[in-house]
Amino acid sequence: MTFNLTLSGSDLLLLLPEMVLTAWLCVVLTVDFVMPRLPKDRLAYLSVGGLGVVLATLVWFELEGITGTLFAHMFVVDRMALFFKIFIVGATLLVILVSMDYVRRFRFFRGEYYFLVLMSALGMMFMASANDLLSVFITLEFSTFGFYVLVAYLRDDVASNEAGLKFFILGVFAAGLLAYGISLVFGETGKLVFSDLARAEPTPGLIIGYLLIFAALGFKIGAVPFHSWIPDTYHGAPTPVTAFLSIAPKGAAFAILLRMLFVSLATLKPVWALLLVFASILSMTYGNIVAIAQRNIKRLLAYSGIAQIGNILIGLAAGTKMGSDAILFYLLTYLFSNLGAFAIVVAVGNLINSDEIEDYNGLNRRSPFMAFAMLVFLLSLAGVPPLAGFIGKLYIFLAAINEGLYTLIVVGLINIVISMYYYLVVVKKMYINEPADPSPLRISAPMKAVVYAGLAGTLVLGIYPQPFIDWVVAATLMFSNLPGPAASMPPAILPFGG
Amino acid sequence: MLQELSFGFPILSLILFLPLAGALVLWALEEEDLVKNAALGISVLELILTGVLLTRFVPDSAAMQFSEQVPWIPPLGISYHLAVDGISVLFVPLTAFLTTLVILYSWDTVRYQIKEYFIALLALETATVGIFISIDLIVFFVFWELMLIPSYFLIKLWGGGVERQYAALKYVLYTLLGSVFMLVGIVLLNLNYHDWAVTHHVEPIYSFDFLQLLTTPIPAERQVLIFWLMFMGLAFKAPIFPFHTWLPDALIEGPIGMAVILAGIKLGTYGFMRFSLPLLPEASKSQSVVTVVMGLALAAILYGAIVALIQPDLRRLLAFSSISHLGFVLLGLFALNYQGLQGGLLTMVNLGFTTAGLFFLAGFLYVRRHSTQLSAFGGLARKVPVLATFLLIIGLASIGLPGTNGFVGEFLVLLGAFSAYWVYGVVGVTGVILGAAYFLWYYERAMFGPLAQGLTQTIQDLNAREKLIAVSLSVMIFWIGLYPAPFLRIMNGSVQALVDRLEHGQMATAQVSATTPHE
Repeated sequence: MTFNLTLSGSDLLLLLPEMVLTAWLCVVLTVDFVMPRLPKDRLAYLSVGGLGVVLATLVWFELEGITGTLFAHMFVVDRMALFFKIFIVGATLLVILVSMDYVRRFRFFRGEYYFLVLMSALGMMFMASANDLLSVFITLEFSTFGFYVLVAYLRDDVASNEAGLKFFILGVFAAGLLAYGISLVFGETGKLVFSDLARAEPTPGLIIGYLLIFAALGFKIGAVPFHSWIPDTYHGAPTPVTAFLSIAPKGAAFAILLRMLFVSLATLKPVWALLLVFASILSMTYGNIVAIAQRNIKRLLAYSGIAQIGNILIGLAAGTKMGSDAILFYLLTYLFSNLGAFAIVVAVGNLINSDEIEDYNGLNRRSPFMAFAMLVFLLSLAGVPPLAGFIGKLYIFLAAINEGLYTLIVVGLINIVISMYYYLVVVKKMYINEPADPSPLRISAPMKAVVYAGLAGTLVLGIYPQPFIDWVVAATLMFSNLPGPAASMPPAILPFGG
Repeated sequence: MLQELSFGFPILSLILFLPLAGALVLWALEEEDLVKNAALGISVLELILTGVLLTRFVPDSAAMQFSEQVPWIPPLGISYHLAVDGISVLFVPLTAFLTTLVILYSWDTVRYQIKEYFIALLALETATVGIFISIDLIVFFVFWELMLIPSYFLIKLWGGGVERQYAALKYVLYTLLGSVFMLVGIVLLNLNYHDWAVTHHVEPIYSFDFLQLLTTPIPAERQVLIFWLMFMGLAFKAPIFPFHTWLPDALIEGPIGMAVILAGIKLGTYGFMRFSLPLLPEASKSQSVVTVVMGLALAAILYGAIVALIQPDLRRLLAFSSISHLGFVLLGLFALNYQGLQGGLLTMVNLGFTTAGLFFLAGFLYVRRHSTQLSAFGGLARKVPVLATFLLIIGLASIGLPGTNGFVGEFLVLLGAFSAYWVYGVVGVTGVILGAAYFLWYYERAMFGPLAQGLTQTIQDLNAREKLIAVSLSVMIFWIGLYPAPFLRIMNGSVQALVDRLEHGQMATAQVSATTPHE
């Protein structure tokens, strides 16, 4: 294998968004260093501005249709990569706005916080473009690195430290699995690029290698049975970091999963589809049932997040073009609804210094705006029409039913009912219970902007999803040569769709 | 394929979104009286619009009228498609009528969070109207689910019972459980269409449009599967015995206004007539389906009536009588003949005046005695003669006295049931007799006899607002009872088309005279 590292100007252009972000995060770090007395809010706005520039370049790429590959196919810019990059940058932008009030709680290194967030975002942008096993490993570790620090950022808080340590140990373990799996696959085939791997004959070594890789990715997205780090980490981490962790890395990991499963392993679909069906059923059921018992809103959203990942896995298990469309669309709805819900949690947490669901009692009296926004976000997560979550779930279920995955659909639908229960418990506390302290709560301007963005996204994706569907359909055109939907409905309901 | 008529003006969209827009206006208002007047004004305007709709509707036609269609999510085959025909058109003014009366009733009976109450009520009106005028199954499902949210808050926040928290949650989770099965059924219908469209090279390849689904043949065994999936959703919402346990809780614990809407507007049985029967004629006709559904209908009639017989609480009695009446509707629908279907449809409309009316009267009694328990009453007729009279009128209509609307509906249902299979008719008649027994027995004990304790002090008879509610309900009861022809004519075309489809598996092409006011 020879490596040709001569880069032309047009090659470098493909890296423009990443280069802009790299330059910008150096600027943020330098400004913080040179002007220590600068209010940290300014750093946040500086970071937001930088992300805005990155977003603009990505949109320009999207509109101009600029695509290509670099470094012997290690790095690919295609419509799907652009979709995920826009997703990640958008999520990062909102997370930074959410963080602004929270950062005052940190006693040290307030400026570095923004640097670390941007660095993780950069790592995830590379993940979206990873097109061979080596770049998967490098980009995944790169993005997780920032999170290791961010999760433990509340230095004097025991829970945060515990969360950081758990996340770190399990994360390093997953990285080990990933490296081991990659070495097995490479040893069996001598190839690293996804499209080259597609032609490999399945051997026992190869299968074990792939299983290890998927265990590591399963850890990343937090699907059962690789979910054990999620509740404690989400609970202990600073809430904006939890919000970030619950959305952006999930998107980036699904980019890798889609490329590996739909490109490298397209011929082995019956095998991995079955595994994904099990993972999906377990994630949805476990997440939703355990969520019922939670008293802390962050833990509740952590478990509901596990269940939501289970929903997305349905689309992956369908293994079709429509399934990939549905995954991308679902991630968009999840971005707005989940980030919106976390924004309310951060806002309430900043004001009353508590994340217990008990303390949401009577939120409607104290801040009708926040209570209403939370209501919309929770109902969207539950999948109530006409909000975004409904269209997302409908899309996923349509894709799966086209493949005859009836058992999965029925479990998924029953899970909607279960999830409705615990979301309604929160709604009840906000609207029915009397507040212990009826003083009104005022939400700060940047938080309000995020909540409005979340509300707008949740409503627009629910009521006028057409442009976004067009976008995701275009983003996954590379999968249109996959085996299409099953020709017709199977005669009987086979367990797990056969 | 059914003929479609458009009106040139999107009157259905206007009717659909007027209450929701009104709810948003209420949000901005502060003063209490202004909120009440605005809510009333919006609901009256809505009632007038629906009246216009009814007068411009072409009777004796099976066509889908006032049709509006805009693509919503084309890749999934979902379009915002609204239309009404003889089956659905009457429910639109009925919803507007009942909402207006509920607003009148709530004028001084709702005392806290008044603005939020009217907002929820108007949002509920939009969702309910949406259910009746949606022709696309996903849009229908959207409104079907959306209805749960305002209902949840109405029961939970303004309910009078101590168990209202439980009742609201039970209502939402039960109906949601049914709905998810229905969603699978709807998606399977779409998938069946997809298979057919791909093999016949028809565009679009996905569709949830009722009219397009009608043209698609569905294999018989697949029809049965889809029928039972849809059945789950409709049976929980209706509710059909034995899926009814949420209904008494919701009706008793929730506010009177919510009880009126829940008991007066028959969404579940409407769903059978709108979607299940025409889309799945082979399944609906099959022996197993008919036997099971008829069995449940008869069980509901007898169970509801017998349990109602021993209830000392008027609202609980009405809840069970409501279950019994639903059995009647189902009996008519699954007789699968012209009289039965027409009777079932008319009975659904009638219940919007009779059962809903009885809930209003239970509310009037509750306002006076803070209870609907029998022990709080006795000898009331001497104290409140006007209330007692209206309770008698509406009650007799509910048990089907000739001259009232209840008689016309029940008579047609029984006619249909007898011609389907005589056993159905015989059990149905027993239900009518039991119905008369439980109502008259209760009435006698509450209104006549010695005065109840604590009733010696003065007790107000109906005030002007309450009289307006009772009189308008009575007018409708006698109108349909004495001169049902206009109503039957409105239904006629669509019911006939449905019968043809059930018999021949093919929807008869609608004939509309050239002098139609629209087009």
